[in-house]
Amino acid sequence: MSEVIEAPGASNDVAETTILPLEIIDKSIGQYIHVLMTGNKEFKGKLVGFDDFVNMVLEDVTEIDNDGPSSTPIKQLLLNGAHVAMIIPS
Amino acid sequence: MSTLRTEQQSQEPLDLIRFQLDEFVLVKLRGAREMKGRLQGYDSHCNMVLSEAQEFIFSEKDVEPIVKKTEMVFVRGDSVILVSPSTE
Amino acid sequence: MSTDPSHFLSNIIGSSVTVKLHNGVKYAGVLQSIDGFMNVVLQNGTEVAGESSRTYGDVFIRGNNGMYE
Repeated sequence: MSEVIEAPGASNDVAETTILPLEIIDKSIGQYIHVLMTGNKEFKGKLVGFDDFVNMVLEDVTEIDNDGPSSTPIKQLLLNGAHVAMIIPS
Repeated sequence: MSTLRTEQQSQEPLDLIRFQLDEFVLVKLRGAREMKGRLQGYDSHCNMVLSEAQEFIFSEKDVEPIVKKTEMVFVRGDSVILVSPSTE
Repeated sequence: MSTDPSHFLSNIIGSSVTVKLHNGVKYAGVLQSIDGFMNVVLQNGTEVAGESSRTYGDVFIRGNNGMYE
C-alpha cells in the first residue's frame, strides 16, 4: 500500500519568470497600439482599457482595411475582442 | 437633436424582445435572409418561434426576394443579426 | 483612470452611437441598453450598408455580430 513517490527534483523555477499576456496589454494602457484582426483589418489607437475577453476601449482610432486607412479617425470605440488576432504595442 | 437621458439600467436588451411577444417582428438573419412573423417565444440565445411567418431570401440586388410562407417556424439564435418591430 | 469596456458602456448609454457589424454593415442610433453578451438596443436605428439605408424604430442587435464604435 505504501508507495513512495519521488520528489520532482530540480528545474522547478519556470513559473517565476513567465510574463502573462494580459500583463503586456496592461502595460500598454495609455499608449498607442496596433490591433490586427483575424480578417483583413487593423486598428491603430490609444488603449484606454480592456477586459478578460480582450474587448478593448480605444481612442483616436484609425481603421485600416483593404482600401487603406479611414480618412476620419474615430474618437472613442469599443472593439469586440472575439476577432482580435494580435496586439502590437508601439 | 434631443439627447435622451434614459437612466433606467433595469432595462436590458432582451426586454425589447419581450415587449414584442405576440406582435409582428422583423428578424434579420445571416445569409441575406429575413423573417417576418408573430413572435410566440424566444430565449437568451435569440432562438425564436414565429407564427404566420414569411421568409424572404435575397439573392441578387434589385431582384424581388423569394418569399416562403410558414405557419409556425423555429429560428435558431446563432443566425440572428437583429430583431425589430415589424411595420405591419 | 483606465476605463474598462463595461465602464465605457455604462458611460455611453443614452448617447448617439454607431455599431459596426462583422459583415461591414453599420447601425447608428441612440444607445438604449446593452448587456453582458454585448446585445444592444438602439432607438431610431438606421442601417447603413454602402449607399443604401433603412430605418427601424427600435432595433435589437445580437451581441456576437457587433464590432463597435
